[in-house]
Amino acid sequence: MDGATDIGVSHWAELMALVDATIGRDSAAASAARTTLIAAIGRPAMLDTAAVIGGFDGITKVADATGIPLEPGKAAESAEWRTSLGIDRFDAEKT
Amino acid sequence: MDIRPDLAAAISIAWTRIGQPGTWWTGAARVAIAAEARNAMACPLCAARKHAVSPAMVAGDHSDLGLLPAAAVHAIHRIRTDAGRLGETWFRQTLAAGLTEDQYVELVSVVAITTAADSFDFAAGLPARALPAPVAGQPSLRRPRNAKAGPGWVCALMPTDRTADDPDFFGTERGAAHIHLALSLVPNSAIHFWDVLETMYQTSAMMRDFARDYRAISHAQIELVAARVAALNQCLY
Repeated sequence: MDGATDIGVSHWAELMALVDATIGRDSAAASAARTTLIAAIGRPAMLDTAAVIGGFDGITKVADATGIPLEPGKAAESAEWRTSLGIDRFDAEKT
Repeated sequence: MDIRPDLAAAISIAWTRIGQPGTWWTGAARVAIAAEARNAMACPLCAARKHAVSPAMVAGDHSDLGLLPAAAVHAIHRIRTDAGRLGETWFRQTLAAGLTEDQYVELVSVVAITTAADSFDFAAGLPARALPAPVAGQPSLRRPRNAKAGPGWVCALMPTDRTADDPDFFGTERGAAHIHLALSLVPNSAIHFWDVLETMYQTSAMMRDFARDYRAISHAQIELVAARVAALNQCLY
């Protein structure tokens, strides 16, 4: 995402800044992102955002380390946008 | 700190439980797995592989703590630092190097819980928590008798195949979605992970109840955050 496109979710840029800083383990960026996020939507919301980040950083390890495929129904429903978003290339990079 | 009480309790319980004897690993070994998962974040080999076009292009030895067998160290480091590029060939080679399928599944759960707690603390601006104290005792060494080939690389226990002797992971809310089956070969590990995950994120019922927001951020905000994490981690599922 380019940071200039409104994707229709309120405060999306502030939310994603904390995600990116956390997954990248960038302490300074995370601190700045927290300050901005708290100012925008409050401290409880920042903490719940942190919880979702942590939970999904964990669950992606479960999914990828056990090799589970998408369920057939989900795979069919998402085929078009997985291709358009380039998500399918993730599979080609597995070794 | 003003963390939701149920959230603070769930993470604390999950963290403490890492130190208790598991199904296939002792408490001390489980704490060592958590420590090694943290240590992987500073491993020069893992960093070089993460930035390579293919991790197979970079040879070398992991910088490890010396607490676990080499096969476990290798698995922990790759899962923690580059899980999105793991393939079945890697998985088979990892088992051949000296891990059983059951040990591997429990190891994955400990790495995932360590990752979840550490990433929450980092995102929230909290210090990394001290490793849990290991509790003495032996692993139970019990595999569900009806486990069979699963949707992924490891065997799974389907909800309909559970016997009274198997810990009840599925309950009334967890079904046969592939992500629910992923750790089901070791039911107590599945329970360990999902109990904290559902508190950090939402239960399946909460996720589908669009009439109400259960967290301080909306359904749309939650899913955006989750999708961004998955994309950055190159998670296809």
